[in-house]
Amino acid sequence: MLRRLSVVVLVLFACHTSARRHDAAPAHRIVSLLPSFTEILFAIGAGDRVVGRTQWCDYPPAALAVPSVGEGLPPSVEAVAARHPDLVVLYKAGPNVTAAQQLERLGIRTVLIDLNRLEDLAPAARTLGRLTGLEQQAESLARAMDGFTSTNLHQPPPTSTIAFVVWDNPPIIIGHGSYLDQLAAQAGARNVFGDIAAPSAQVSLETIVARDPQWIAVFSDSGTPPAFAQRREWRAVRAVRERHFLLLPGSLFGRPGPRSSQAVRELRDRLEHDVGAQHAAPLHETPRR
Amino acid sequence: MRWTLLGAVAVLALMTSVVLGPAAVPLNELLRSDIVWSLRVPRALLAFLVGGSLGVAGAGLQALVRNPLADPFLLGLSGGAGLGAVLAIALHLPGPWGLPIAAFLGALAALGLVYRLGLIGGASLDPRILLLGGVAIGAFAAAITTAIVSLADAAELRNAFLWLWGGLSGASWDSVLLVALYAPIPLIVLLAASRPLDLLALGEESAGYLGAEVEAVKRRVYLAASLLTAVAVAVSGVIGFVGLVVPHIARLTWGHRHRALLPAAFLGGGALLAFADTLARTVVAPRELPVGVVTALIGVPVFAFLLKRWSIA
Repeated sequence: MLRRLSVVVLVLFACHTSARRHDAAPAHRIVSLLPSFTEILFAIGAGDRVVGRTQWCDYPPAALAVPSVGEGLPPSVEAVAARHPDLVVLYKAGPNVTAAQQLERLGIRTVLIDLNRLEDLAPAARTLGRLTGLEQQAESLARAMDGFTSTNLHQPPPTSTIAFVVWDNPPIIIGHGSYLDQLAAQAGARNVFGDIAAPSAQVSLETIVARDPQWIAVFSDSGTPPAFAQRREWRAVRAVRERHFLLLPGSLFGRPGPRSSQAVRELRDRLEHDVGAQHAAPLHETPRR
Repeated sequence: MRWTLLGAVAVLALMTSVVLGPAAVPLNELLRSDIVWSLRVPRALLAFLVGGSLGVAGAGLQALVRNPLADPFLLGLSGGAGLGAVLAIALHLPGPWGLPIAAFLGALAALGLVYRLGLIGGASLDPRILLLGGVAIGAFAAAITTAIVSLADAAELRNAFLWLWGGLSGASWDSVLLVALYAPIPLIVLLAASRPLDLLALGEESAGYLGAEVEAVKRRVYLAASLLTAVAVAVSGVIGFVGLVVPHIARLTWGHRHRALLPAAFLGGGALLAFADTLARTVVAPRELPVGVVTALIGVPVFAFLLKRWSIA
């Protein structure tokens, strides 16, 4: 009985503290649990307040000096709490919701933010600006993001078609509902699997052959073509035979963030200056790690 | 009559899987199409060979352990192959064949361990210990696999699991040739053991009295069925259900004589997998379903129907 009572008291106390902390002053010790959030925080000038990050947060280089709390999805609640944060920023997804509740129970303020596509960037920047008291910087970043997503800056090269292949056996490609599909559209190219609503999907190899993309885009930090390029069944795909690979470094292309416009520019340059260029060369971005 | 029917079903399944696909290939261009020659035909043949191999391996193992629940993957092979595949990805094993070879070696390692466990009581291979050993080794391998997955780069390894659930996306003339050269040896070994497998159903002692070399047969059947399954898992992952259900369906029609049962299980398994793969490629096109889902969705109702007829009879 006594034990149950003490639990109730603890819970009440926790609720009380978390409620009080919610209208607290700007955050000064922040744990960021998504690489995109880390990039935004650094971009709006809150980088010196980041006291914890995930092992995937590799940009800007200064972020690497911040202690890592591990994978981040779901986070280790203990590792996060050990950084004594006054704000934890989490990506809005199932396992993170539970982690956020646990952190709140410890009296740590948390915020869950959706960030899957380009249009989520500006709201995410504004939210982080409000929580850090850096509204102005956040607003100018948000405007830049909005301006960039609403206008197509250049005339697109009309014929470029891309298939984003994220896994080879079974073949998994990127569909319409994804950030990469948006990047391709911004760069003036067409994702040949833009008719698939899901962010990613398993398809048959012969569908890739039939849709005949000019480019096969894959994530590659090393700048080497994927191993499946050597497999005989993949050589039925024209772009694979002709070694028309776009090798995209994951840090720049794998996440929406302040550098999305840079990613679009690099992708567009690569597509436009294709003629005579050496194929299967990595995009110019120094591989990190 | 039943053989003609089964043969016709097998040919029909193969033809359907060459004619139908997510990409529209007009009938009059079928023979000239690159999609058909370099993708569909090898994929149909590989599906047939893998399905047939799993059917025969399942029939052989069910007779060996005298347990209707036996399945080619029950004896720890899927766990071993999975560990091999995950290791190949975690260690960034180079080359286009790195993952299948690692999966094959993983399956062989599990096979060796389970075999050694089966001999634990002395010189005689105990089917009960084989079953228990298979489950234990499988669980052990799965635990190591999960440990690696939880410690290493998550996104990449999640894809390893996709591979493991089975699929024929990796089909090419290379893999068809590989299986076509490899599989006949264990298949012939199993077929040659038909008569002693029949006798084994009477119990090991009675089989011995009736002239079967029980120990030698048990070892041969176990090794041949496992080696057959190991190559299947290397080229197509763990495709469930074919090896469990097809032998039972074949038994309901062809009886318990292995001389007829094993070829029937081969043709039936091949036809089922070729047909299931055609559905997997086409029903949700341009997307694709994992083929194991389809084998279960077709296999279970057919099985239930036959069971009902069989119990009424």
